[in-house]
Amino acid sequence: MLGKVSCDQPRAGLSGSGALSHVYIQHPPLRCSIPETQGLYYDDGNKLILAPTCDQVLSWNIGPSSQLDPPNSDSISEGPVLSIRYSLDKKVIGIQRSNHEIQFKNRETGETFSRRCRQDSESILGFFWTDCPSCDIIFIKTSGMDLLSYEPELNTLRLVEAKRFHVCWYAYTHESRLVLLASGMQCNIFSGYQFSSGGIIRLPKFEMTMAKAEANHKPVLAADDIHIATIYGRIYCLQLDRAGMLLNLYRFYRDAVVQQGTLPIYSSRIAVSVVDNVLLVHQVDAKVIILYDIFLDSLAPISAPLPLLLRATSSSGRQTLQADENLTATYGGTIYGESWTFLVPDLICDVNNGLLWKICLDLEAIAASSSDIPSVLDFLQRRRSQPGMIKRLCLAILRTIILERRPISMIARAIDVIVTSYSHLVKMGSALLGGESVSPVQTEHSGSQHGVNSVLASEEPTTRIVNRGKSIREESLTGAENEQQQSTAPSKPKQSSFHSVSDSEGDANMEAVGTSLGDMSLAKSSSGDLHASVAREQMRKATGEQNSDADFEQSPLQSERPEQSRTLSDPYVSNQQGSQLTSGAISPDEMYNFVFALVEDEMGGDPGYLVATMVEFLRSVSKERLKVHPKLYVMMIQLLARTNRYAELALFIRNKIIEPSKDVAFQLLELGHENLPIRKLGLDMLRQLSLHHDYVTELLQDGHYLEALRYARKYKVVTVRPSLFLEAAIANNNPLHVAAVLRFFSDFTPSFKSTSDFDRYHQILIEMS
Amino acid sequence: MSTELQVFRNCSTGLSSMTAINEGIQFCIFDLRRGQHEGQEIDKILFFSPSDCPFPTQLSVIGLCEGIITFTRIFSPGAPCEVIEAERHSHVFYEAESDIWMVVVVDKNKDAESIWRGDALRDVLKEVHSLFTMFHGSLRALLEKQPSGELARSHLYSFITDYLTEDFHVGKKIQMPSFRDCLSERKTVQMLTISREVAIEVQSLVTVIGSSCTGNTICNSMILFQDLLVSTTLSPDDTTNLFTYAVMRLTPHALTSNTNSWSYLRKGTSAPSVPANAAVSNAGSASEGYQHRSRDTSPGGQSQRYHIPRPLQRDKWSKRKDGFVVTDVWGAEVGTSIPLSPTLWLQQTEEHAYLCVYQHRNLTIILLIPVCSLINGEKGISLVKKQLLENASQKIINVEEKLSRGWGGENAYHVSGYRYLLVDRDMGISRTSPPGKVTTLTKDSLLALNKLREEVDLEKSRAKRDKPDYRKDFEVCIRARNNAWIIAKVTRGRELYMVLEKANETLLYASDAVEKFSNRYCDGAFSLD
Repeated sequence: MLGKVSCDQPRAGLSGSGALSHVYIQHPPLRCSIPETQGLYYDDGNKLILAPTCDQVLSWNIGPSSQLDPPNSDSISEGPVLSIRYSLDKKVIGIQRSNHEIQFKNRETGETFSRRCRQDSESILGFFWTDCPSCDIIFIKTSGMDLLSYEPELNTLRLVEAKRFHVCWYAYTHESRLVLLASGMQCNIFSGYQFSSGGIIRLPKFEMTMAKAEANHKPVLAADDIHIATIYGRIYCLQLDRAGMLLNLYRFYRDAVVQQGTLPIYSSRIAVSVVDNVLLVHQVDAKVIILYDIFLDSLAPISAPLPLLLRATSSSGRQTLQADENLTATYGGTIYGESWTFLVPDLICDVNNGLLWKICLDLEAIAASSSDIPSVLDFLQRRRSQPGMIKRLCLAILRTIILERRPISMIARAIDVIVTSYSHLVKMGSALLGGESVSPVQTEHSGSQHGVNSVLASEEPTTRIVNRGKSIREESLTGAENEQQQSTAPSKPKQSSFHSVSDSEGDANMEAVGTSLGDMSLAKSSSGDLHASVAREQMRKATGEQNSDADFEQSPLQSERPEQSRTLSDPYVSNQQGSQLTSGAISPDEMYNFVFALVEDEMGGDPGYLVATMVEFLRSVSKERLKVHPKLYVMMIQLLARTNRYAELALFIRNKIIEPSKDVAFQLLELGHENLPIRKLGLDMLRQLSLHHDYVTELLQDGHYLEALRYARKYKVVTVRPSLFLEAAIANNNPLHVAAVLRFFSDFTPSFKSTSDFDRYHQILIEMS
Repeated sequence: MSTELQVFRNCSTGLSSMTAINEGIQFCIFDLRRGQHEGQEIDKILFFSPSDCPFPTQLSVIGLCEGIITFTRIFSPGAPCEVIEAERHSHVFYEAESDIWMVVVVDKNKDAESIWRGDALRDVLKEVHSLFTMFHGSLRALLEKQPSGELARSHLYSFITDYLTEDFHVGKKIQMPSFRDCLSERKTVQMLTISREVAIEVQSLVTVIGSSCTGNTICNSMILFQDLLVSTTLSPDDTTNLFTYAVMRLTPHALTSNTNSWSYLRKGTSAPSVPANAAVSNAGSASEGYQHRSRDTSPGGQSQRYHIPRPLQRDKWSKRKDGFVVTDVWGAEVGTSIPLSPTLWLQQTEEHAYLCVYQHRNLTIILLIPVCSLINGEKGISLVKKQLLENASQKIINVEEKLSRGWGGENAYHVSGYRYLLVDRDMGISRTSPPGKVTTLTKDSLLALNKLREEVDLEKSRAKRDKPDYRKDFEVCIRARNNAWIIAKVTRGRELYMVLEKANETLLYASDAVEKFSNRYCDGAFSLD
């Protein structure tokens, strides 16, 4: 059943959760139903749910570093509200009052002003704030687009540029910074602009294809039929072709829009979400979801369509299912009811009941639904939302397939996936390090700084936040996550998350790390992808700039702290760089500690199989030019020795499959008690590693005191006590040698003559001869 | 030792007249536990070459050897006798199994080419015995299986005859390794040096090959590239034997060349091949005669005939289209013409294994399938072969490509200015200057090195006798003719022999040369001072 990975030693997640669902929304939702509000609005630029009342607007920050309840409030003047958007620095509130007027209010000064359009010839379709350098706000009107900048001193808007053309309707997401403007008889001719912090990019005009329903009836494309989706930092658009019952997928490049293919649909109502770079197509009528991972060009769904689950908690195991039925009952509305709106990228809002959920992937269930282990691992490694969980899941899968003694070829592919994924991450990390940007570690630090600042700066007394945070945390967090939260709570300002902590990282990571994935693909695509570069550019700039958007981009890293602290409890992981904690990537060291070391205990017999898997691991690792911990080699040596495969061991050493290190050398020396050639390999290794002191000591142990002496002279090894040499010579009962060694030390170390050792051995020598 | 020699000298004078009729070499194997009674002495003899040698001569040679062994045992029970150096002959002894002795008698004629080194000859004896054991099991076991000795004799006869005629025939004579081979070492393997990355790929391939067998059986395997060892899962002894055999008969080089495969060690000498059929018919008739004779002493085995696989016969292996190298010398399955798969006896696991050889270009893969793991014989083997092709083909191609890319050619291990032999006794590995380069040395240098090696052998065996577990280190540099330095250096189980011709006269130069070589090619194993 719901075999949740919750303890330190998770069992393999292969058993899965009964495959009832791959996607769930978690109870309890955010409740934003306050009696006198007039509708709910979503400000995706600031991740705010806004509920205007007659004289004020309530806002719930649903971003990752959010405080939820009670909402913030700003007073506004009375009047109709068509839409509300806060400026990205949250200093100004923009309220569209009518088709001809947008009202602005400066939150600091309380001053208001309005901007109207000509009533006769045009109407305002909408507006949004932007972080592009030349303007702050964009008005979309039926007659075109106005680019305006806000003048704080004058508290007014200045027109920067007006673009004139006919617009039927538009679609915009802040995530993509892309606005699509529909025109034409069928509304299927699009102009596109991306207003990113890097500047404005104009896309070539393009037309979306639509099947003809009847000969002389041309369907008209509606705004609802268009979904902009940001996946792996790339920007896509899904267009619903109602007549054709198809979902067309377009991908946006800087200079082209390319249709990628079509997805089938099984419902006349479609909604699209993107959760952790997985594309979710909600077949609303059928009440099922189809998942796609379009990292590769394949448009095959990840698994069969399954319903959306309303889930209580994620950690209480079996009780969950029973609870689910109750939950569905207690939830007044219906799943996929009429009042559900899907917010970009991964939110569901029940407008009637004033409830808001975040959509979550049940990675365990997805992992369990496929038997193709390498692809499952690949899929998991591409996810960024629950790094700790992904890591544990992947480790558990790896352990299981080894324990089950799956074919080596399959294990090799699985290991390849893991190692490649880690290698990419390291390369990205060092690329960031090398570039103009800050290192991942620094980013994380600055990120958390921002997070703290944003909380402190949010016009609320800190203490109040703390109190609130506490109260909500106790409600909304449960199980393991609650513990996590509590364990880390004292170290930082208390914040509560609307969703479970580990889930909340998703969207931000998508932009932070997700863009880096985008980068990778960008390098491959020749024509220059249009991607959500904004986040990354901001990452680079943001260290100094205290802009709120940067907070939003970076603070998620802070919210990963619980995750980090969880991994900190694993002693080994604490050595990890910060960059690796933002993903479920598994380092070679972790492979040793959490796979091979654990598996070895459980495996008992058949060390040969384990050695074979380790060789495959080494193959992957060396292909990616990574290093493994000497402990792995030591274990390999032990395993080979256990089966008396000394000849092969010698070959492994000789060919440096087992890389030389002090640990390895000492392991060989230890084994060498039973097998002289192996001992010699250890000795040779000491010499090759220039571990002079150890080499001389070992030579002496073997009674090769003359050789040791010569070596000590050559490499000026003075750390080995002369008495050891002398004892060895005496043990050989050769007065000539004793005399020679004595003489040597008298010459070699002038102070030796005055030591008691000299006198003692001198006396012994006299007695001997 | 010197007293022993005195005794032998007296004896050997009487022997010389008898052996003069030979072509310079006698080879015999006898069992001291047999023929203890008067008149049954002939039962001792398990093998004698040349086979047309009259019985009295055979008995006299063996009688002498037995006498010496019995006598020297009084003084040295553990290691009775190693060699008799007489005026005109050398007798080299090897106790192959307890009380079973192999002796080779070589002429010391005036022909200057016939200068031997005792240990090199003994290594020939060791080699042929090891190979014999690998294919037929131990002699003692054969004797126990059939006490009349006919089984052992007929096996030995075909095996050693094949060995001597195929691998040591030069012209009409059997030519034992001489001083010209002093920069080579029998009973060692030569390894290909590969990078770590390739080594891991190879190891990965080894895993795949090893699991070709159904069930949980992991097969042993050995991989060669050209005539060099790349990887093995066998014990050192089994590795050495199988490697020796592979280089003799299985590698692409061995398959294509009709000439002596050991000529890898002495390529300079022209070795005209003996027509195979002549050798066989010769052996056949001789064998007949032998059996006829042996009937006198062992009437029990009168009518018995055995099929005796003759793995050392040349040109019996061939590469099939599917890449497998096969032979029919093991006979055919009863009632069919399907050739039986060759089998071997592995010392380490003490079990019989099928020998399955696959070749891709210069890569030779030897798979050893335990006989007990296959219930249905040939059918099972073809299944394993199919598995191997299915699972490993791509990897084999990859590995071959990588090895070919890194392969430095025949002279890969040539170090200019040096002619060397490097032996690692612990690992049973040696590396030498390419044979073609060794032939450029003058005869004087080679003679000097041969002499030096003899001294080293003596020194080593003395040291071993004094202290069995302590290995003596020593170094000798000799200034020889032609401004050559002849150097031997022995350090804890490793031996380095080298000849530097046209070299500077100072000793410092010589020791510098060793130091440089050691640091660059032996990880500093020989540079201590």
